[in-house]
Amino acid sequence: MGEKADVWQGTLALMVLRTLETIGPQHGYGLARRIEQTSGDLLQLNYGTLYPALLKLEQEGYIRSRWGISDNNRRAKFYELTKAGHRQLKKAAAEWEQTTEILARFLTSADGS
Amino acid sequence: MRQLRALALRVRGLFRSRRVEEDFVAELESHIELHTEAGIRNGLDPVEARRQALIRLGGAEQTRQAHRERRGLPWLESLLRDMTYGVRTLAKHRGATAVAVLSIGLGIGANATIFSMVSRFVLRPAPMGDPSNLLSIYIRPQGEEYFNSFPLPLYNDLRDQAKSFSGVAAFYELIPASISGNGEPERVWGQAVTTNFFDVAQLPMELGRGFLSGDDDLPEVVLGAGLWQRRFNGDRGIVGKPVTISGQTYTVVGVVTPAFHSVDQIIYTEFWVPLGSVAKLVPNAPPKGSREYHWLPVVARLKPGVTRAQAGAELDTLASRFALSYPATDKGNSFVYRQAGSLPPKEKGAVLMFLTALSVVVLLVLSIAGANVANLLFAQAAGRQRDMAVRLALGATRGRLRRQLLIESLLLSLAGGALGVSLSLWATRALSTLHVPAPIPLDVSIALDWRVLVYSFALSVVSGILLGAAPAWAAARPLLASALKGDDALSRPGRRITLRNVLVVAQIAMSVLILCLTGLFLRSLQTAATIDIGFRPQNLLIMSVDPRVHGYSAERTVQFLTQLQRRVAALPGVRSAVTTDVPPLNGGNRSDGFTLVGGPSKDKPITYAELYMITPGYFETMGIPLFAGRGFGREASGGIQSALVNRAFVEHAFGGANPIGQQVSGGGVTYQIIGVAGNVKSRTLGEDQRPVLYRSLQQSVAADPSLMGYTIVVQTMGNPALLTEAVRRQIYALDPAMAIFNIETMEDHVRTAFFLPRLAAMLFGTFGFIGLVLASVGLYGVMSYAVSRRTREIGIRMAMGAKPGTVERLVLRQGMVLVLIALALGWPVAWMLSKVAASFLYGIQPHDLLTFAIVPPFLAGVALIACYIPARRAASIDPMQALRTE
Repeated sequence: MGEKADVWQGTLALMVLRTLETIGPQHGYGLARRIEQTSGDLLQLNYGTLYPALLKLEQEGYIRSRWGISDNNRRAKFYELTKAGHRQLKKAAAEWEQTTEILARFLTSADGS
Repeated sequence: MRQLRALALRVRGLFRSRRVEEDFVAELESHIELHTEAGIRNGLDPVEARRQALIRLGGAEQTRQAHRERRGLPWLESLLRDMTYGVRTLAKHRGATAVAVLSIGLGIGANATIFSMVSRFVLRPAPMGDPSNLLSIYIRPQGEEYFNSFPLPLYNDLRDQAKSFSGVAAFYELIPASISGNGEPERVWGQAVTTNFFDVAQLPMELGRGFLSGDDDLPEVVLGAGLWQRRFNGDRGIVGKPVTISGQTYTVVGVVTPAFHSVDQIIYTEFWVPLGSVAKLVPNAPPKGSREYHWLPVVARLKPGVTRAQAGAELDTLASRFALSYPATDKGNSFVYRQAGSLPPKEKGAVLMFLTALSVVVLLVLSIAGANVANLLFAQAAGRQRDMAVRLALGATRGRLRRQLLIESLLLSLAGGALGVSLSLWATRALSTLHVPAPIPLDVSIALDWRVLVYSFALSVVSGILLGAAPAWAAARPLLASALKGDDALSRPGRRITLRNVLVVAQIAMSVLILCLTGLFLRSLQTAATIDIGFRPQNLLIMSVDPRVHGYSAERTVQFLTQLQRRVAALPGVRSAVTTDVPPLNGGNRSDGFTLVGGPSKDKPITYAELYMITPGYFETMGIPLFAGRGFGREASGGIQSALVNRAFVEHAFGGANPIGQQVSGGGVTYQIIGVAGNVKSRTLGEDQRPVLYRSLQQSVAADPSLMGYTIVVQTMGNPALLTEAVRRQIYALDPAMAIFNIETMEDHVRTAFFLPRLAAMLFGTFGFIGLVLASVGLYGVMSYAVSRRTREIGIRMAMGAKPGTVERLVLRQGMVLVLIALALGWPVAWMLSKVAASFLYGIQPHDLLTFAIVPPFLAGVALIACYIPARRAASIDPMQALRTE
């Protein structure tokens, strides 16, 4: 149980960071929707898992939050990337790309041996 | 780094949970509203939109819980909760908690006390620079077991030729001296060191500096911090001022760190002068050019990067080189090294043995205490079965319950550890007040240091886990069904040997062991008290002076002592007064090898005898019998000196034949024997009778002055302590600047000689008593528990017609069976192990029959009492009451 969640949270964190980089400060609901849209609605987030992930990122100093007003005049908590967050995103993205690349090679040449 | 930051924030989250919680509730609410609005925009009705939003969130409560766990540290929180709960449980069972904490406290206290000795004598490095690369170097003659000091020329060779060391220093260990000015003159001891000593030892200085290398004849002195505080009130401007040591003027150049007294950390010296001063401060100083006189201990500082093995190899090379250059003196010698500040190799074995024996005993005491507490926890666990079963039934994991119980036992043992440390604080102070019988100042005080604290803490934690493990294991797996019914869920049907009984048997067996040792040491003290010391210590007062260190010549010394003796003898209440160099039972004495003069010359046997200087009337005053010849009268100076010997000397040197008129020679002097005196214990109580030779004080002071000063022995009519002031005044009347030391009654002096048997009896007596009490309490607890558990059964028996006496016997029998098993196990082990104690016993065999005969019935008696109380309770059970309970 724990391990799966970690992997999932790891990728979720990357998605959150990337999304925040693209669209700038956003509240939790907006983030979740945006992530689903970006995935072409292939992902269906359990929104509840988003908040502990956000809290973890905030504790690690990659994002910060403050209360603000949403487009339709609702009070909401907005998250934005910090400098460390930008750096972390670059690093994590590079690592992820490498991982997928390696995996892709395995999967394409799988029948050979 | 990031993890650390997150951890810090989470720890903070533990304490500000309310506000953060409210903040998150608000955030969730805004999330749901945003989601609902989106739903409405997509055409849902508001109620359905909100329902969808909640579903997609996955439950508001679950989300809040996940968020909460991420916010703080759940395991830390539950740990804190367990601890609070534990403290509350312990506080509720106040009596049991007190017994447990006291038990562990006594156990840990005993261990901390003994470990503070280990720390002091074995582990503590000397306060000299980096202690790990400072070596003490000794000479080992070929085929010998002992280690020697260095002659000066050999030290010089070593210093100049050894390349492994950044510096090599030597010192002369003990210089008795007097220091005057600022109040009463005082006797102090110091060392003479090569001028590089402070640099090699890298001693931190409180003030000023060590000696500048080069001239070792400069009249400069470094003071010990204690002496500086005591005599100079810690004057921070002392550097550059003059002080008078044994009548010579020295300039203070520094004050050394308070922690330093000597390299070996045992000898207590308080000033340091350059090596050249030895000739000025010590009579018959060893000849500087001699390669035969071994008088200088040596320390060397390893060069950075050089290992001990490399240095050892170089020392081997040097030893063989010196052996070639000086075959007469250096052949066959090898160098050995030890880390400086460790126990002198001579004493190390015995000290380690003593400390090991003590450590084993205190660990046994702790085990007994631990078994007690484990039993107590068992009893408690039994009482909490229902609680546990309910928690298990509600879904708590067994692991969680075990953790809870372990935390409780840890809390107990930590509290016990704290109590133990405070107990040993007191015990170490008490032990430090004991005087070691030795003619030189020794520092054997012990105290709690950080090593002891770490050790006690570790011991507490380990014992907490050990003694909590078994009860925790058992308690967390109750038979659910019986527990919920309210039956005893720990007693599994059909089991006769319970862990509790095993623990009690182990406890009693261990107390048998400790009690046997205690018995041996008490008997040893008892027989030590009956040892014939050979003289009568009652009504004697002793007091020492050392005129030599005040610049007195030999004639003036004799004159001073004669006058003093005459004045003191004239005091009211004084029967007689005599002078000797040192009184008997002094811990160590001047000795020489003696051979017979005349007769067959080759291969004469050498008698090693203790030398004492005495004045006429000594034997009468001391109550030592004369067996032949006469005591000293007016001995002429010059010509052959007269001497008396004791019976052991006669046995050894003359095979028991009459020695009167015979001549012996030793230490370059020939003596004619004029009398034979009774044997006295010369150095220690436990020694075999040593040969002793008494020489005339008048005849000996000039050629061979005493390093230890001279002691006036005053025989009084009444309490000798009352005359102390009067005798002191007589000394000051003759010379107000004379330092007086070793003022005591002879009875006190003899009592000091009981140091070892008393120390052993005191330590083992205490530990034996603690062990006995703990084991009895343990037995009592187990029997009480057994009785309370069998209340119903006993009630039925009595209802069926059993008499109270029968019931009483039933319980007693059950308890005594345990005791008998324990005795059968413990006694043989004690019998075997007692041999280890042999070398510390006085006048009794390690298999002392009395001890081994008395301990079992004694222990059985105490155990009987411990069982009797629960047995009485069982017998007084009211059957009606018993059957109605539960």
